[in-house]
Amino acid sequence: MGCGVTKSNQFHKNSGKAVTSIKAAILIQRWYRQYVARTEMRRKYTWHIFQSIEYSGEQAQIKLYNFLGYLMDNFTPTSNERNLISHIFRDNDVCRDTEWERFFCYKKIEVPEIYSGPHLTFPLTVEQAVGLVEAFRNKKQLHSRYVLQLLLETLKQIRMLPNINRISTCQSKEITICGDLHGQLEDLLLIFYKNDMPSMEKPYVFNGDFVDRGSDSIEILLILFSFLLVYPSEVHLNRGNHEDHIVNLRYGFTKEVLTKYKMHGKRILKLLQEIFSWLPLATVIDQKVLVLHGGISDTTDLSVLARVDRHSYVSALRPPKKRNQSSATSSIDIDMEGDILSHIKLTQRRTSLTYPKPLARDIFQNRSLQDFSGLIKGNMVDDVEIHRKRPSISIQGIIKPENETTQAASSESVNSENVNDEWKQILDLLWSDPMNQNGCVPNEVRGGGCYWGPDVTEDFLNRHNLQLIIRSHECKQDGYEFCHNRKVLTLFSASNYYDVGSNRGAYVKLGPDLVPYLIQYQASSMIRELTVRQSVGRTERSALKVLREQLFAHKSDLACAFKMVDRKNTGYVNVHNWASAVESVMHLGLPWRMLRYQLVTSKTSDGMINYHEWFNDLAIKGTNTDHINQSLLETLYRHRSTLETIFRIVDTDNSGFITMEDFRQTWKLLSVYLKMEITDDAISDLAVTIDRNQDGSIDIDEFMEAFRLTDKKSRLERGRSMFMGTATDLTKLEGDLNI
Amino acid sequence: MAPKKKEEPKPAAAAPAPKPPEPERPKTPEFDPATVTLEFTPEQIEDFKDSFQLFDRTPANEMKITYAQCGDLIRALGQNPTNTEIMNVLGKPKPEDMQTKMLDFDQFLPMLQHICKAKDRGTYEDFVEGLRVFDKEGNGTVMGAELRHVLATLGEKMNEGEVEQLMQNQEDANGCINYEAFVKYIMAT
Repeated sequence: MGCGVTKSNQFHKNSGKAVTSIKAAILIQRWYRQYVARTEMRRKYTWHIFQSIEYSGEQAQIKLYNFLGYLMDNFTPTSNERNLISHIFRDNDVCRDTEWERFFCYKKIEVPEIYSGPHLTFPLTVEQAVGLVEAFRNKKQLHSRYVLQLLLETLKQIRMLPNINRISTCQSKEITICGDLHGQLEDLLLIFYKNDMPSMEKPYVFNGDFVDRGSDSIEILLILFSFLLVYPSEVHLNRGNHEDHIVNLRYGFTKEVLTKYKMHGKRILKLLQEIFSWLPLATVIDQKVLVLHGGISDTTDLSVLARVDRHSYVSALRPPKKRNQSSATSSIDIDMEGDILSHIKLTQRRTSLTYPKPLARDIFQNRSLQDFSGLIKGNMVDDVEIHRKRPSISIQGIIKPENETTQAASSESVNSENVNDEWKQILDLLWSDPMNQNGCVPNEVRGGGCYWGPDVTEDFLNRHNLQLIIRSHECKQDGYEFCHNRKVLTLFSASNYYDVGSNRGAYVKLGPDLVPYLIQYQASSMIRELTVRQSVGRTERSALKVLREQLFAHKSDLACAFKMVDRKNTGYVNVHNWASAVESVMHLGLPWRMLRYQLVTSKTSDGMINYHEWFNDLAIKGTNTDHINQSLLETLYRHRSTLETIFRIVDTDNSGFITMEDFRQTWKLLSVYLKMEITDDAISDLAVTIDRNQDGSIDIDEFMEAFRLTDKKSRLERGRSMFMGTATDLTKLEGDLNI
Repeated sequence: MAPKKKEEPKPAAAAPAPKPPEPERPKTPEFDPATVTLEFTPEQIEDFKDSFQLFDRTPANEMKITYAQCGDLIRALGQNPTNTEIMNVLGKPKPEDMQTKMLDFDQFLPMLQHICKAKDRGTYEDFVEGLRVFDKEGNGTVMGAELRHVLATLGEKMNEGEVEQLMQNQEDANGCINYEAFVKYIMAT
């Protein structure tokens, strides 16, 4: 039929076009899906890079700490090194109530007229708390007088709190729970903007890690504490592993406070040390939902945790101070010699409670405390004297005390058992991470706490009649992540944690039905402008830059590893050998083959890598450091976080300066720790470069900067450099002694 | 006698709801991994292993991925198969199997090889040709809205979020897209 034919023609024309449309659509869709997959892949390994480096930094911290602890146990009382560092192991001496007010007396601190920040009167009102938030939003700083006052009031308040807060969603109130903030004020402000500030109708739980890494840790603390004072029943704070003065030494909070509060920073820090130890450990909502910072282990017992004297754990990284000190004869510090015996036992256990081990995909190498025994005995630093009474150090590195001391030890051993069990409970609570497989193993990546599996969760929840665990401690791309059959929720509230665009933050709301309702966000208006591809690209570039720095810092070891493969010394290695050599040195468990295109720009056509050229590409240019030995520089660079941490430990009065003599001693310490030779001449060279005014003291910050150990540019920009282990972006209030 | 109305095979277009026909499904044979000869170099295989490992989320690092991840991995390695092609090499699994069934590296390689050998990968010209279909005015631009509609309704449909992500920042003030630039953008991963 004519009609049909025409229609048929029409159809063919239409269908031809339709078919082409479809083909076009499919083509675009295919390519799009490939683009998404590749972007996702880049995001995955970028994330992997940041996380491996972060955790290996934490591990390094614990390793350093263990090393110092070991030194403490093995040095004679008169040794210089010991004196340098003994104070961080000393008990918190200012702990009697009557002395508090005197030591932390703020009344004599005057607030000058030109001060334009907020004025606080106590008891604090809601208006003042809100006003404080506004002031910080406008970049004001709170005067030290008010800071001390606020902190004292906070201390009075939280001392009365139990270890485990028990709260409820009665009266159909929704409880808002926030995860790690890490000094990122912008995120807290964003949360308050989206969710309103704490109030009678708006209870909050903040789940630890308020400080370190970000640049506004103290401001966050002050805000949280103010609201705690104003709404004591509605605002709840859990302690995180960063609420710990030893961790703060490395990760920037100490530095931030000392910089912002030049005159009174030391006292503020001391008071905070006390406050941190009094922070509650966990919160339980409606007897069904447990909120704590890190996690659990197979031995976690809430009834034990409810009973512990949390205050005695000033730092989770060190054994608790002994209450009853038995006196002994020698002349060492009271706290040390008083319980040398129990201390020995504690040391024994300490080796099993913290595990500094490298991150590797399959097998963990054993590089824990016991290795130090060898280097102390062997590689000698002149002033070090090993205590004569303890000659034999067994393979496990356990110190064998003499006979007469063991008897006394046994009577104290029962106490020690309890103390150590408690200590482990707290360590697990603050440092553990969940894992996918069943079981419970030590968390060797972080160096403390456990990895716990779904079976442990199941068992724990049943035993305690709970239904959900909300924890933080780990950065998640979407700000949150469920695991263990949705029985564990990880919540992270610091967006853009690794870099601009790296991740969102999230908070959760729980109503009486106890169903978690999650809200995500991302601070910084810059983010919204970037497309996904751009933001992944940025983060990727940032991660690679950091990775290159790490590689450069390990140049000598890498060169060794390459030479072992390249026996004929051709200067080339193939990709396979390159990848395995790099992994054997770096221990980061990264997909090196995949990353090689971004890391190695020089390559021959047959796929071999010219490693000398590669090192040149990686090199970071120093300033006026030509007279300094290259390998020493490399050591400095690689261990800059550790170096700075040791400096700050040695700087007992937190002034930012150390004496020349202490400076020398620090190097000796470091040379033992790193098992390398640092000659006196080399040290003198360094000192000369720094102590320009020859007054016998060294400015720590200047030192770190002189050797390009901090990237000055990023210090001035917004953002932090966690890989330096210091807080950047410290807008120094030039000469403002009024604060 | 009324003329017998011969039932002419009426074209589909004349049917009440005119729908463009789905593209002819080529009769793809059942995928048999045994028939695939691997032509990858050892170097390439090492590279693939690295990527495979990155996708491996098993607790004990067993070098296994789920069926659902297979497509993503193949794409991440630089191929751009359709979903149909992926389902084919996976042996046309049931939807519920996608998250539960696993494959190891040795099972994965022939699948990847098969996809790599596929013709019709799509060149820049193919793309531009395809998009030109929507260029009503023949001026090198297509309407963003129309492209979105096409991508969401035809072929292997994309969802709203995917379309949004793809088209982010591509349209000009009038909602038009210069498609040659667009294609360059898509291909420049």
